[in-house]
Amino acid sequence: MSTSLSALRQRSMKRRGRGLSVVIGIALAIGAVITAFPFIWMVATSIKPQAESLNYPPTLLPANPTLEYFHKLFVELDFGRYLGNTVIVVLIGGIGLILMAMAGYAFAKFDFRGKQWMFFLVLATMMIPVQVTMIPTYLILNGMKLTNTLVGIALPTLVSGFSIFLFRQFMSTIPTEMLEAARLDGAGEFRTFLQIVLPLSKPILAVQAVLTFIAGWNSFLWPLIIASDQKLYTLSVGLSLLNKEIAVNPSLQMAAASVMVIPILIVFIVFQRYVIQGFALSGLK
Amino acid sequence: MALPGIVSSPLARRRPIASRARAGRSRLTPYIFISPAMLLLIAFGVFPIAVAALVSLTDMNISGLGDWGNVKFIGIANYSKLFADPSFWQALGNTAFFAIIGVPSVVFLSLGVALLLNRSGNWFYRSLRAFYFIPAITAIVAISLVWGYLYNTQFGLLNWLLSLVGVDQVQWLSDPTLAKFSVALVAVWRGTGLNIIIFLAALQGVPNEYLEAASLDGAGEWRKIRSIVIPMLRFAIFFVTVTTVISWLQFFDEAYVLTGGGPLGATTSVSIFLYQQGFQQSQFGYASAGSLILFVLIAVITVAQLRARRADIEY
Amino acid sequence: MRILTRVIAPIAIAGLALSLAACSGSSPTAATAKDASGPLTVWVMGDSSTNFQKLVAPFVASSGQKVDVVAIPWDSIDQKLTTSVASGSGPDVVQIGLTKLRSFADAGALLPLDDKISAYPDLASDKFADGVGGAATAVNGKIVSVPWVSDTRVLFYRSDILAESGIAKPPATWDELRSDAKILTERGKGKYGYYIPQWDNALPVEMTWAYGGSVVDSTGKINFDTPAFQSAVDLYTGLYADKSVPINSDFDQTQGFVSGTVPMLVSGPYLAGAINAAAPDLAGKWNITTLPTADKGTSLFGGSNLGIFKSSKHQKGSLKLLDYLSKSSTQLDWYKINGELPTAKAALNTPSFTSDPLVKVYTKQLADAKVLPLIANWDGGVGTNLLKALNSIALTNADPKSTLATFYQSTKGLTAK
Repeated sequence: MSTSLSALRQRSMKRRGRGLSVVIGIALAIGAVITAFPFIWMVATSIKPQAESLNYPPTLLPANPTLEYFHKLFVELDFGRYLGNTVIVVLIGGIGLILMAMAGYAFAKFDFRGKQWMFFLVLATMMIPVQVTMIPTYLILNGMKLTNTLVGIALPTLVSGFSIFLFRQFMSTIPTEMLEAARLDGAGEFRTFLQIVLPLSKPILAVQAVLTFIAGWNSFLWPLIIASDQKLYTLSVGLSLLNKEIAVNPSLQMAAASVMVIPILIVFIVFQRYVIQGFALSGLK
Repeated sequence: MALPGIVSSPLARRRPIASRARAGRSRLTPYIFISPAMLLLIAFGVFPIAVAALVSLTDMNISGLGDWGNVKFIGIANYSKLFADPSFWQALGNTAFFAIIGVPSVVFLSLGVALLLNRSGNWFYRSLRAFYFIPAITAIVAISLVWGYLYNTQFGLLNWLLSLVGVDQVQWLSDPTLAKFSVALVAVWRGTGLNIIIFLAALQGVPNEYLEAASLDGAGEWRKIRSIVIPMLRFAIFFVTVTTVISWLQFFDEAYVLTGGGPLGATTSVSIFLYQQGFQQSQFGYASAGSLILFVLIAVITVAQLRARRADIEY
Repeated sequence: MRILTRVIAPIAIAGLALSLAACSGSSPTAATAKDASGPLTVWVMGDSSTNFQKLVAPFVASSGQKVDVVAIPWDSIDQKLTTSVASGSGPDVVQIGLTKLRSFADAGALLPLDDKISAYPDLASDKFADGVGGAATAVNGKIVSVPWVSDTRVLFYRSDILAESGIAKPPATWDELRSDAKILTERGKGKYGYYIPQWDNALPVEMTWAYGGSVVDSTGKINFDTPAFQSAVDLYTGLYADKSVPINSDFDQTQGFVSGTVPMLVSGPYLAGAINAAAPDLAGKWNITTLPTADKGTSLFGGSNLGIFKSSKHQKGSLKLLDYLSKSSTQLDWYKINGELPTAKAALNTPSFTSDPLVKVYTKQLADAKVLPLIANWDGGVGTNLLKALNSIALTNADPKSTLATFYQSTKGLTAK
C-alpha cells in the first residue's frame, strides 16, 4: 500500500518535472536567442549591402544578401595573412599550455622550498592591471630583440596565473600512488609527466586549450604594439584598422568581426563536452 | 607500465641507491618543472609591477621616456596629487559602482542559467549551451561594433524597437547615469559565458543519488537546490566570485570601446583613468602611482575573501 | 639558495635589457652619414597601406629604395608612439597628426630638419600652404616635420531641406546659423537644426577665432580667459539651450545628415566622401560652404605632417621620400587615390584640381585657416578639459562661471611651441 502510494507520487512528480522541463527549456531558448542576438545581428549585417546596413529603420534579415565584403576582406585587405598570423600565435600559445601544465604539476605534486611564496606570485599576477605592464614588458621584449616577431607577440601572454592555478587544482586529484608506481618502474620525471600525468589531464588540457585558443585568437594589444610590420598583424588589429571616427561601412566591419568569431564558435561546439568535463574534474565543486 | 610484482625483487636490492639518487634528483625536479612558466610570469607579470613602483616615484613623461636624463625623483608627490584629484575619486567611485552592480549580476545570472541548463542532458539543452557561451568568445573589437549599433540613440535597434511601442528615444550611452548601466550590461553579458561553463562542470560533481533520495523524501525543486546543490557548489561559487571581483575591479574593455570613459567621466573606471593619464597624457609616473593603488586594492580585497573563506571552513 | 639565483637572475637580466633599451633610446644613433641598406619603413594612419604603397611605387622604381608601409589604426597611435619612443626604435618615416606633433617632438623622437631640407627644393617652407608651412608647425623654433595632407572644416548643409523651411541660402554668420537652426528644429519631433560633435575639441576654438580672438596670448601662453572665448561659449551652449542640436554623444553624423535629422553641420572633407558612399543619390541636395563668421571666418587647418625618426638609419632615403611626397604631382595623385587634400601650394593652385566645386570651397577655406595650438597632448589634455567644461554646462546645467574657472586653472602655464 505504502509502496504503491510513493510510486504514484513519484510518477506524478516526474510528470510535473517533465512539464517544468519544457517550460524551462522554452525560457532558456528565449534567453539564448537574446544572448546570442548581437551575434546574429552581426552575421546578418555582414551580408547586407552597405546602403542597406545604414538604412533606418533597420532590417533584421538582409533583403539582398551579398558576400562582397568577405571577398573584399580577403582579396583587397589582406585578411588571409592576418588569419594565418592569428593561427600561428594560437599555435605558439600551445607551448605555453605545456609550460603551465608543468608548473601546475610541480605545485600540485611536489614539496619544495619557496613553493608557497611562488604560488602567491602566481596568484598575484592575476591581480595586475594590464595597462601597468605594457611599457616594461615592451622594453623587455625589445631588449631580447623580439619586437616585430610572432614569438614576441605571443610571449607576454604565454602563461597566465589563472591557468596555472587551474592546472594545480586538477593535478592535485591525480593519485600520488600512480606516480610512485611509475617512478618505481624507473621512469624519469619527464617520462612520468608525459606518459602518466598528461594523459590523465586530458580534460583540463581541453579546457585550457579552448581558453588559450580564445585568448590567442582575440589578442589585440600585443600584436599591435610588437608588430612594426603590417605582415605580422592579427585579425583583431586588422579589424581595428577598419575603425574610423565615422562608421562608413558597417557591413565590412561586421564581416570582419564575423570572420573573427565564427572559428572560435566552431572550436567551442566541438570541444564543449570536454571543456565541461575538464572543469568538473578540476576540483571546482 | 611493467607489473609491480615482476620488478619487485631486483628493485628491493637496488632501492637504497635508487632512492638516494632520486632524492637528489627530486629536489631539483620541481624547480625544473616550474621554472619556464615562473620565469615568464616574473618577467611579464611581477617585474612590471616593480618597475611601476619605481616609476611611480618619478615625474616620468614622454620626454623622460625618450631620454632618461629628463626624469626626476619626486618622492610621493604623485600619490598626494592622486588623492587630491577629483577625477581619480570619481574613477574609484565608478569602479566600486561597477563592481557592486556587476559581480552579483554575473554570479547569480551564471549560476541560475547553469542550474537551469543542467536540468536535462538532452540534445536541446546541450545545444543551448553554445548560445550562452558566444558572448564570452567574442572579441572586444567586435563587441564595440555590434553594441555600438544596438545602443545608438538615433539609429540603433533598441531605440527603434522601443519606438514601435511608443517609447521616446533613450540615451543609452549619453545619459551619465544610464550609460553606467548600459556599459555594465555589456560586461555582464560578456562575463557570464565562462562562468556558466564552470558552474555546469561543478554541477556534474553533484551525485544524483543525493537528489533522488531527497525527491523520495518529498523535497521540492527549490529545496533540493538550496539544501543540496548550492552547498556542494560552495567552492565553485567562491572561485567564480573571486575571479569575477578581480575582473570588475580591473573593468576596462567595455567602457573603453563604447564610451571611452564618457559622458563627462561617468563610465571612467580606475583602469580607464590610468590609461588616459598614462597613454593619452603621457603622465607615466602619475599613472604608475594609480596602478599601484589599484593593485594593492585588488590584493587586499582578494586576500580578505580568502580569509573569510578560511574562517567559514573552520566553523 | 638555488631558487634565489633562479629568481634574481631573470630580474637582473630584464633590468639589464631595460637599461640597454633606455640607453639606445637616449643616445641619438650614430647612423648619420651613411645610410644602411634595406627597406624604408613608413607608418601611415588609417585602414590600409595598399593605397600608399601604390603612391610610392614610382619612387621605388626610380630610386631603387624599397619602402615598407605599415598602416596604424587611428585609435592606437598613442600606444605605438609610446612604445616606439620608449625603445628608441621606430619606423623611418612617420605620419603625424598635427595635434600629436608636439608630443612626438617633446619625446625627442623626431629628427630636426632645419639644415637638412635645404638640399631639397620641394621641402622649402614657402612651398607649403601658409597655415602649416615652416614656422607654423615648428616646435621650439625647430622644423621637425614637413606638411603632408591637409584637412579643414567647412559648413555642410542640405539645400533641399533648407529650401523647404524657407531658408534661401546657407547661413553666412553664426547668428544666422543659430536662428536658421531654430527654424529647422521646428520641422518636428526628432529633427534638429545643427549638430555639435561632442568629441570635436576644434569647434569651440574655431568659434573663438570667429569672434576675433585666439586661445594663445602674445607671449605664447595658452589663455582661454578672453571675451572672444566667452562669446564662443555663449554660442556653443546657446545652440544647446535653443534645443537645436541633438544631445546624445553617439550621434552618427553621416546617417544624421543623409536622413535629414540634422541638415547643417561643420565637418571635414571626409564627410563628403562618406555621404557619397552611403547615399550617392543624395547628390544635388546638399552642398558645402565656408564657415559662418562673426568677426572672422578662420577655420581649422588640420591634417598630418611627415617626420623622420631620430633613430632612423635611412635618413637620406627618408628625406628623398619626403621630397617625392611633397611634389605637387604626388600630392594630387594622393588626392585622386585617397581623397586627402594636398598641402603643397602648387598642388592647391592647380586649375584641374580646383575646378571641382567642393575642392574650390576647401581651398578657399584653407587660405583662411590656422592650426590648433601646438602643445603636448592637445587631445588628451586641454582639448578634453575644454569639451568637458563646455559639455557639462550645456548638458548637465553645470554652473558656467565656476566650471570655466576650473578649466582656466587647468590650462595655466601651458605654452604653445
